[in-house]
Amino acid sequence: MVAIIGTGIIPFGHHLERSIVAMASEATLAALKDANISRETIGACYFANALGGMLFGDTTIGQNLTAGLGIKNIPVVNVENACTSGSSAYYLARLAILAGECEVALVVGSEKMCVPDFGLLNSGTTELDTLLGMVVPASFALRAQRHMHDYGTTEEQMAAVTVKSRAHAALNPNAQFRKKESLEDVLNGPMIADPFTRSQCCPIADGAAALILASDEFAAKYYRAITIEASVLTSGIYDNQADLTHWETDYHAADLAYEKAGISAKDIDLVECHDAFTFSEILHYEALGLCEEGQGGKFVADGHASLGGRTPVNVSGGLLSEGTPSPPPE
Amino acid sequence: MTEQHDIPLVYDNILTPGPEVHLQGGYCPSCDLYHFPQQDRCTECLGTVNTTDLGNKAVIHSVTTIRTRAPLGLPSPYSVAYLDLKHVPLRVFSLMDPAEAGQYSIGQEVELQVAPLGLNNNKEICLRPYFRTCANSAE
Repeated sequence: MVAIIGTGIIPFGHHLERSIVAMASEATLAALKDANISRETIGACYFANALGGMLFGDTTIGQNLTAGLGIKNIPVVNVENACTSGSSAYYLARLAILAGECEVALVVGSEKMCVPDFGLLNSGTTELDTLLGMVVPASFALRAQRHMHDYGTTEEQMAAVTVKSRAHAALNPNAQFRKKESLEDVLNGPMIADPFTRSQCCPIADGAAALILASDEFAAKYYRAITIEASVLTSGIYDNQADLTHWETDYHAADLAYEKAGISAKDIDLVECHDAFTFSEILHYEALGLCEEGQGGKFVADGHASLGGRTPVNVSGGLLSEGTPSPPPE
Repeated sequence: MTEQHDIPLVYDNILTPGPEVHLQGGYCPSCDLYHFPQQDRCTECLGTVNTTDLGNKAVIHSVTTIRTRAPLGLPSPYSVAYLDLKHVPLRVFSLMDPAEAGQYSIGQEVELQVAPLGLNNNKEICLRPYFRTCANSAE
């Protein structure tokens, strides 16, 4: 088994004057301090960044980070896997420890998105879908529209995700948006991609986060260590015909994680998931088995995903309130 | 004056040649599966695929309208959709006619058009396929 023994994060927001490496360094030092270990203890580094190459022409940023912190003679792996970059770095670091390649690994994600004319993210500039106008908000809006058609999910139910997110973020000093919003506030905002108003889309952000992972033996002395029961990374293909309301890859990942951990949805007390849009969180409720398929909107509107509810989701405020510097490990 | 045939298509090999424009894709006879755009190999059996006509009519499976800054020189707002093609069992992503942005609904019948619309990655005016309300939607 592998455990998390230290964490570090800097508040997500506009850090216009700071570089990707500078933010990563601060998060890393905070994680080292939290774990109470020296830099010499680190046996490997997995560094996540999705956009540095495209926006700034930066490559091998992980090595720039470790070199700047005087960490040498360890493997450093740069991970680009879009919004899954941070989670993928975490996945790989855990595997390295399980394989016995190292005892302690550093996982860092750092991203700068607050640049002029950033625009909307897409899946690659030469992809046909991108050239025909597909942008990330549209991909989830299309799923949401079909879910509304098939299951009667409402705009108010989707807006309830943002209302919950803001209420949770009010308790998180690292979140960008900590002011509560009402359903009316959310629904009356400017429309981005029907049915998503602005506060139903996560804001872009600059930021960084770091984790220290360790083997069971190393973590035994940490009373706060969090054991990782399972970590799953998977992928899908274009199914003919694409099912927009049943996100098959998401279901597969959840089922596999439950199987590896030997648990079921009933055992889950708390969820942090990728809520780039309100509706993406609703899809995760369903894939994770927190509710029946098609009932995700009702689940959140009834308060089951709120603190004090049946299964609180994104108690940090999630991406909707923290912002999305894509790769930091969530 | 630039003729339409001088304007580059936004993506190669997605339209049939000829006066009436149709989508062009791939068909695997072994698996009886269609693909758009055409793949080098069938994703099911990895066999070779044939180039095939996918038709020019469809029904909207889901649709949204993007109302923030549009990419690639597209007008704002603009609509995009997943469409179920009428002539083959295939669901495809498509741009919709910007002149009708926000006016589409699930289940609506639409037909293919091609016209200069927006820019390509070289920032040149290019031809884009898009679907619009059928001229005779009672068909």
